[in-house]
Order: sequence, then structure tokens, then C-alpha cells
Amino acid sequence: MQFLKEILDTFFSDVGVFDAIFVTFQLAFCATFISSVLGIFLGLLLERARFVGKRVVIRINRTLMGVPPVVIGLVVYMILMRRGPLGRLNLLFTVPGMIFAQVLIITPIICGMTYTSLVSKAPAIRTFARTMGASPVQTQCLVVRELKRELYFAVVTGFGRSISEVGAVMLVGGNIKGHTRTMTTTISLLKSQGIFTEGLTLGILLLIMAFIIQSLADFFQRGEKTDENY
Amino acid sequence: MKKQRQLLATLLAGAMLASVVTGCGGKEEPAPAETPAEAPEETPAEASEEAEAPEETPDEAAAPVEKKGVLMMATTTSTADTGLLDYLAPIFLEETGWELQWSAVGTGEALKMGENGDVDIVLVHAKASEEEFVASGFGVERFQVMYNDFVVIGPTEPVAPTEDIESLFKTIQEDQLTFVSRGDDSGTDKKEKGIWKKLELDPSENPNYLESGQGMGATITMADEKDAYCLTDRGTWLKMKNDADVEIQLDIICEGASDLLNQYGIIAVSPEKYPDVNNEAANTMIEWICSEEVQELIGNYGVDQYGEALFTPNANE
Amino acid sequence: MRITDLEKKQGDFQMRIDSLVLKSGKIHGIIGGNGCGKTTLCKLIMGILEPDSGTLDYEGLEIQNITMTAQRPYFIQGSVYENICYPLKIRRIRPDEQKIDHWLSRCGLTEKKHQYARSLSSGEQQKVSMIRALIFDPELVMIDETLSNLDPENLELFENVIFDIQKKRKITWLLISHRLAHIYKMCDELHFMHGGTVLASGGKQEILFETGDERIRRFVANEVIRMDGSV
Repeated sequence: MQFLKEILDTFFSDVGVFDAIFVTFQLAFCATFISSVLGIFLGLLLERARFVGKRVVIRINRTLMGVPPVVIGLVVYMILMRRGPLGRLNLLFTVPGMIFAQVLIITPIICGMTYTSLVSKAPAIRTFARTMGASPVQTQCLVVRELKRELYFAVVTGFGRSISEVGAVMLVGGNIKGHTRTMTTTISLLKSQGIFTEGLTLGILLLIMAFIIQSLADFFQRGEKTDENY
Repeated sequence: MKKQRQLLATLLAGAMLASVVTGCGGKEEPAPAETPAEAPEETPAEASEEAEAPEETPDEAAAPVEKKGVLMMATTTSTADTGLLDYLAPIFLEETGWELQWSAVGTGEALKMGENGDVDIVLVHAKASEEEFVASGFGVERFQVMYNDFVVIGPTEPVAPTEDIESLFKTIQEDQLTFVSRGDDSGTDKKEKGIWKKLELDPSENPNYLESGQGMGATITMADEKDAYCLTDRGTWLKMKNDADVEIQLDIICEGASDLLNQYGIIAVSPEKYPDVNNEAANTMIEWICSEEVQELIGNYGVDQYGEALFTPNANE
Repeated sequence: MRITDLEKKQGDFQMRIDSLVLKSGKIHGIIGGNGCGKTTLCKLIMGILEPDSGTLDYEGLEIQNITMTAQRPYFIQGSVYENICYPLKIRRIRPDEQKIDHWLSRCGLTEKKHQYARSLSSGEQQKVSMIRALIFDPELVMIDETLSNLDPENLELFENVIFDIQKKRKITWLLISHRLAHIYKMCDELHFMHGGTVLASGGKQEILFETGDERIRRFVANEVIRMDGSV
């Protein structure tokens, strides 16, 4: 680790690249995990529930899927600031605060994608489960298992959104070197210093790391069903 | 290592080329939102008359000079954040016919934009870098325009307001008080780093020394949230103190020290390096901003609103 | 099982069944033109659709013991074997490997046991879906056009399967098919549906050849001509 840090420090300007990488992935994993649990749960609930105003809720969800992170960042900032409603928690300019903001950004995305895939595929699965005599719980389990790919894709999209996001982490995290600076905010900072090449290198590094994680995830996913041939 | 950098530079050049090809070259870059809202209200009749040339200002009384084109400026966040350029741009348009547009970035990036020929003129405050910019042939000549000064803001406890910047910085270091630095290599950041260096202190040894890597406004807000000390230019400070929705609870802790002066310079980007730059407009701007009349405008700017001037003109000293 | 005063509205389609009795232990056939409500009826019996009004009296039959196979069956992601085991798995029954292998070999699917189920041809898929429905010994089996696409040889195979089960266990069957020869051969009782209602119920001879209803006569005549007079 120390060795890696030294390599990065010699290659980049003194902007805390090593810590930024660490924070980026710490943030992405935590935010994606929480959002996945919440988003998939809400998506399942939304698809099952029948209530007045459901269409409006769905439309709001769609809208939130495209909400600019910087808007969420501002809202979370105002909630977390010292004189805000949750100021006492001292979460502004901390990683948990950033996770909070990103969960708000990513959950609607995962929820919306979950809902969309459920709407198109779940009825057939439910009908089938019924004909097999499955209980409601077993039916729901089957739906989730059958839509594993779609849900996986939703989670991956959320992860991608998390590591690429800059607006909210800049506002809520404050881009503090060694604490809340992420790879994207580092790039933003490097750009503001006119150091374009390093920014670009870091961007490429971010892509490469995302690619590696993606490949690992794919690898584990494929390992689960070796007996499939298409 | 050198080779790697070259490779990356080539990559970068490729990316830039692609962006130029797709039609978003440097000169179109400035955010339109920052362009001063200039268009006066039109009556429908006038609007239809002017339909063929909607760019022109229809109000004849307000625009005696024919509009000539756009002057693109790279400047520091402080000139834009204080509203000085919003104030000067319409007058500049009226008197010379050039429309001023600007991109407000850090000093480092502003000079970089000049070096790339993306702008016609730069207005920044980092004397050494500016002189280097001219010496390398990217700029024609540096003219001093005005100065403002820096102040240290922070909570009044535990350090009482003082004029002694050196003892203040020493106390911060020794007592490990929270200090928020820009950390973005901007003019302000360079100023602050210069003071630490002069005192032979290494601020990174202080665990409560934070680098925000953001603009002045964001850094002041962060200092306020953290109840921390912070070095800022007076202009941004006054504006933030006056205009911020959430009242800033910090105060000026240190001001008036000679170390804290901040000289702005204006430099036209060399037309020899980049024949495409609008050198005519750039020279008009330099002549105009250094004129006595405009210098007076600068000296009075902000007095109504903040009770004191934000900038002190000194082009003719 | 007994269905009385059943009503169900689905968009423009209105279903209304005053009375339908499905005697247990018999093979029932349901015939009728497209869109006459055959599948809707199955779904109502299956409990997939809720009736707007009326009662479905299962007469002690548990819904877990009812099954239904569709014309285009759904397969869970996994092999043929995993699909066949699914109804056993949810009942926490340990799969009887010999029984499964016996079924597969009888249907000529032994080599496809570990193949991805969705990669099978439609005929093979229909056979697997039949095995999957029968593996857990249900009490009421509804076969919604599932056998329609099978070639004569495979159709006969399943006709024999049904007869074999009937000999041993006497369960209730509900066959939906356009193949009148198949229906005629299999069924004890026939129900003719038209426009969301059951027009007539009775013995197969009675419904197919001795009916006074013009609509049934025309339906049968058309089918018979199409089938080259093989009835």
C-alpha cells in the first residue's frame, strides 16, 4: 500500500491522489450497497402496491432518476450544515455525509430500474409461480432470483453513477484533501489549476479501476451458473 | 516518466482535436450564464424591425456605438464573485462597442487558458506567474490595474483580532487550530503558502489544516461551518458576509499587514503566438480599464453596497 | 369443482359463467373459438385472477395441488433439471432422481437434462413444462394448448401419459385444445365456450355431434374440414 502511495505521489501533483482513490471506492461501495438494498426493496414494493397516486409516485421516481447531483448536494448541504436540521450530527464535510447524499441520488435510479424490469417481467413469473403452487414469499423470492441480471445491472449502474458523480460530493464533502477528496473532485481541482494532463490520467485511472471491478463482478456472477449454455 | 507525460499530452491533444472537430472549441466555451444579461427590453414593434439582426441592441439611446464583437477574458473568481465585471461589462460595451465575456477560474487555469490561446486577455493576481507568462511570449505586456487586500477571517476566540499576520499564523500552527486553505494553487492559495514559507512552517503538520480545493466562496462557507480560520481576499469576504443566505459568523481576525496586498494585472494574449485572438479588443480593454475615468469607477465600486471599496485602483502609479 | 355466477370484466371482455361443474376424476375438454375466455377461465381457477363476483367452490381441493401449463411456458433461468425440480423444491420434497430420469427418457429428453431450459425448441419446452407440472402429483391439471404444437407421435405419448395417470390416481384434467381428434379421444366431458360464457356442457358425443346449437355445429364443422375428416 505504502509503495503504491509513493508511486502515485511521484506521478501526481500534491493533491492527495492516493487518499482520493481510497475515498472514491469507500464511498462508492457504501453508497451503492445501501442504495441497492433500499432501491430494490422500494422497487419491489412499488410494483406490488396498489394505491391512489401510484402513477404520480412513478413519475416522481423517473424525475428523480435524472436529478442533477448538484441539486441533491445542495439540499443535503443545507440539511447537514451547522445551522441545518441535522447540523448536530456533524456530518457535513465527512464521508458519511457524502454517502448520505449519494444514497439519495442512486436509490431512485436503482428503484426505477428495478420497477421497470419488474413491470415487464414479473407478471409472467408470478403466473408461473402460482401454477407451481408457490407461496407468496416463495413467489417473491423467485421474482428476485429470475431478475438477478436486471437487478445486477441496476446495481452496476448505481455504482457507475457513484464513482462518476462530482456535484454532490464536491458540495457535501467539500473536497478536503485527504478526507473527503474523491477522484472526480481531484480532477476538477487539477483542471482549476490548469494541470490538464494529470486530470486526464486520473480520469483514465478511474475508468481502468471501474473496469477491473466490473470484470470481477461479472466473473463472480458467471461463476454461479456454470451449467448454462446458450 | 517523461515519456509517459508526453504520451498523455498526445492523448490530450487528440481529445482536444476531437472536441474542436465536434464544434466546441475553446472560444465558445464560456458559460452563457456568466455573460452579463445585457439585452434591454424590446417592444414587439422594435423586435420585429430588428428581427434580421437580433444581436444588436435596439435601444438607440443606450448604445451609440455599433457593436463590434466579443472580447473573451479569463479571470480569477474574485473579480467575478465580487460582481466587479458585471458592473464594468455594460459600460465597456456602451463606450467601446466590445462585448466582454469572461470565464472565472483560478489564476493557474486562467493563465493556462491564455497559454492555450483560448482567450484574448487575462486579468489575474499572481505577479510572478504573470511575469513568467509574458516572458514565455504568451502575453504581450503586463499592466497593473488595481489591488485589493487579503484578510484572515475566523472565530474571535481563541485568537484576538490583530495586525500581526506572522504571530497569528504561528499561533494557528502551534495550537493546531482549524484552518481551511484553498489548496488549489490559486493566487490566494499562493499568497497563503507564501506566508507559511516565509515563517518556515509546514502547515501540513497541523492535523486541523484542511485543503478545500475549491473557490473562495466555497472555502469561506467551509471555514464558517468548521469554525475555522481562513485567508481570503477582502472583496469576496465582504460580498459573502453581505449576501450569503446563511449568515457567516466569522470575523476579520487580521488585516492591514503589508504581506496581505493583492495586485491585479491585465495582459493581452500575444497575437504573434495566436493570430486568431482578438488583439484589437484586448488593447481597447487595457487602455479603457487603465483610463482615469474607469479607475475611478473601480475605486467607487462596492462603496454603496458594502460601505467600503472592494478594490483600490493603481494603474497610474 | 363447482363454479357459480362467476363474473369477470377485463377491459372490453366480459366473462359470465352461471354454472360450471367439473366433476373430479374426469378428463374435461374445453373448446371454443379464439378469445372466448378459455385461458381466463383457467386463470380464475388457478387463482391468478380474482373474480369480480361469484364463487369458485374447490370442494376440498387445495390450490397448491392445482397446476396449469401454458402454450408458451415460462422457464426459470437454469437447466431442464432445475426447472423440473422447482415445484419439488418449493414443497421441500427431495427430488426422486429415478423418477425424473424415467420421465426424461420417456420424453426423449435424457440428453437435454442439463441444458439451459430456454434454449430448447418449443416442442421440447412444452414437454418439459408437462413433466414439471406432473412431477409433484397435482390433483387438478389444466393444459392450456400446451400440447397443440406437438407432432402426432409426441401427442400420443402424452395422451398415454394422461391415461396411465388416470388408471393409477384418477385426478381431474382440463384440456384446452383445437385438435378435436385429440379432445374426442381423451375427454369424458366437454364444455363449449363462446363470448365469455359456457354455452353447453355434456358428453363428448352429445356436444360434438348431437348439439342443436348452430354455433357449436359450425365450430365443429370448420374444425372437421380443417382436419381432413379424421374425426
